[in-house]
Amino acid sequence: MFSEQAAPTAQGLLAPPSVEPPTFPRVPVLGYSDCSQPFQLGERSFSRQYAHIYAVRLAGMRPGLERRARSRWGSDVALRKLSELQAGEKCCVVGTLFKAMQLQPSILQEISEEHNLVPQPPLPKYIQPSDELILEDELQRIKLEGAIDVQRLVTGTILAVYGAEQDDGRFLVEDHCFADLPPPLPWNGPSSDRFVLLASGLGLGSVSGEALLSTQLLVDVVTGQLGAEGEQSCAAQITRVILAGNLLSQNTQSRDTINKAKYLTKKTQAASVEAVKMLDEILLQLCTSVPVDVMPGEFDPTNYTLPQQPLHRCMLPLASAYATLRLVTNPYQANLDGVRFLGTSGQNISDIFKYSSMDDYLEILEWTLLAGHISPTAPDTLGCYPFYKSDPFILTECPHVYFCGNAPHFQSKLLQGKEGQRVLLVTVPDFSATQTACLVNLRDLTCQPITFSGFGADSED
Amino acid sequence: MEQPRRITDSFPRRRRRGPGRPPGRLKKDKKDKDKAQVKVKERDCPRAPSQPPPDPALLEMLRRFDLSWEYGPCTGITRLQRWERAQELGLSPPGPIRDALLEHRDNPDVTYRWVWEGMGG
Repeated sequence: MFSEQAAPTAQGLLAPPSVEPPTFPRVPVLGYSDCSQPFQLGERSFSRQYAHIYAVRLAGMRPGLERRARSRWGSDVALRKLSELQAGEKCCVVGTLFKAMQLQPSILQEISEEHNLVPQPPLPKYIQPSDELILEDELQRIKLEGAIDVQRLVTGTILAVYGAEQDDGRFLVEDHCFADLPPPLPWNGPSSDRFVLLASGLGLGSVSGEALLSTQLLVDVVTGQLGAEGEQSCAAQITRVILAGNLLSQNTQSRDTINKAKYLTKKTQAASVEAVKMLDEILLQLCTSVPVDVMPGEFDPTNYTLPQQPLHRCMLPLASAYATLRLVTNPYQANLDGVRFLGTSGQNISDIFKYSSMDDYLEILEWTLLAGHISPTAPDTLGCYPFYKSDPFILTECPHVYFCGNAPHFQSKLLQGKEGQRVLLVTVPDFSATQTACLVNLRDLTCQPITFSGFGADSED
Repeated sequence: MEQPRRITDSFPRRRRRGPGRPPGRLKKDKKDKDKAQVKVKERDCPRAPSQPPPDPALLEMLRRFDLSWEYGPCTGITRLQRWERAQELGLSPPGPIRDALLEHRDNPDVTYRWVWEGMGG
């Protein structure tokens, strides 16, 4: 891997400078095509309600789920709609899940005057033992109980349940299934080692500047200005850098200026202006050397609802002069050198984390892949554009690398599917907290973390 | 129809429909249970006089298309958009509806979704 190739040449640093310094040309880009057209919104109209997105989600995923149900419970299993249910008959129903949670923040409760409630503070998790699951299809809804994990599932998932309706009107579930892994894509990855660097949560503009040294080290490693010849030749194999969101830190989002009077805030500049200038300089250094894809995140200056649109190029005047800079949407899908990448900046995973008992980001990432949908909680608890024609978050093809940004730790796993799918799941850690980025080897779909840290006065080891 | 003079007589006259008026596209329908009482259309944009008014049976067919649950929600999108969405999802919406929608493309009663009074749609 990366460090093993680099280590033996460290002695070269102690040698006198050579007359002809060796040069390492970066590996050329074999093929790149951007597949995130479904996530790019042209004209946006918000005059629609969200019923459309749920309707197309169910209509789009129903055929696949019916096929899965037949293969799992027999081809003669009765597929019924909720309106056709008869008490006691064992059948299978496909529908959307709704989890009724008592602690779910509700704007109606907050502004209701008769309750006189203080708005509840944000909690890490909103689950409670008293939550209930309800299955909805096009016309009706029914409460679910039985062999189904209420705490684990979230609203908006499309699933198929097998069981029977009880006399009291609830549906007793014996088994349930999700859409499972989507059909595989053909593999034409590279035959030699090529790396893609995944980093997220650079967190520029934060109050403490400790992460700046690590960010500069990252840039230096990628551009080949750090290390001996071994490290430089390895860095030359990095074909792309993907920055998965939260380039700006949460501190740049302070809203104090909104509450103050205008005459007090006239001369103050938004914190994000300075942070974007820093981002521009960092991206300039990276773009002169390697293609960079920049995805927006939760704290970046773009729209809030998913899919987030690319950052505007006039915010980055220095870096956007280079064609190697690509400003892309969140979620982002592309074919890099024959390998299909799909990833988000982490808002979908952290939202599921809040409303489900699953604690591990990698487990949630795998679960979204098996459920066949990138972000089932949108639009219920995560802001989403009101699509009406089709739901672009439904997974129709299985990517080769599926990542999410801004996770608390680095984790990776290679998932093998029954139809020959091979997916590398990567949770990219938050760089400002962990100073760790990920290197994905496109040849064999392995992933390695790379940590940059300096020795500070308060370092622990 | 002889009526006593009213203040509202000085207001611009809207087209009045006869008693055999087709049901469905009027906003007042939601309040008035008795459809025979409704006479005047309350649309803000009066139809251009050169266009022939669409067939009441056509409007009834479109209204039934709006209310059929198989094709998803009907508010917030034009009928043509809803038809095309149903087509793409493989729900096989009836072809004559699309022909009618394209034929009367510039008639707001035909193209737009069925708007209830008070709802922006």
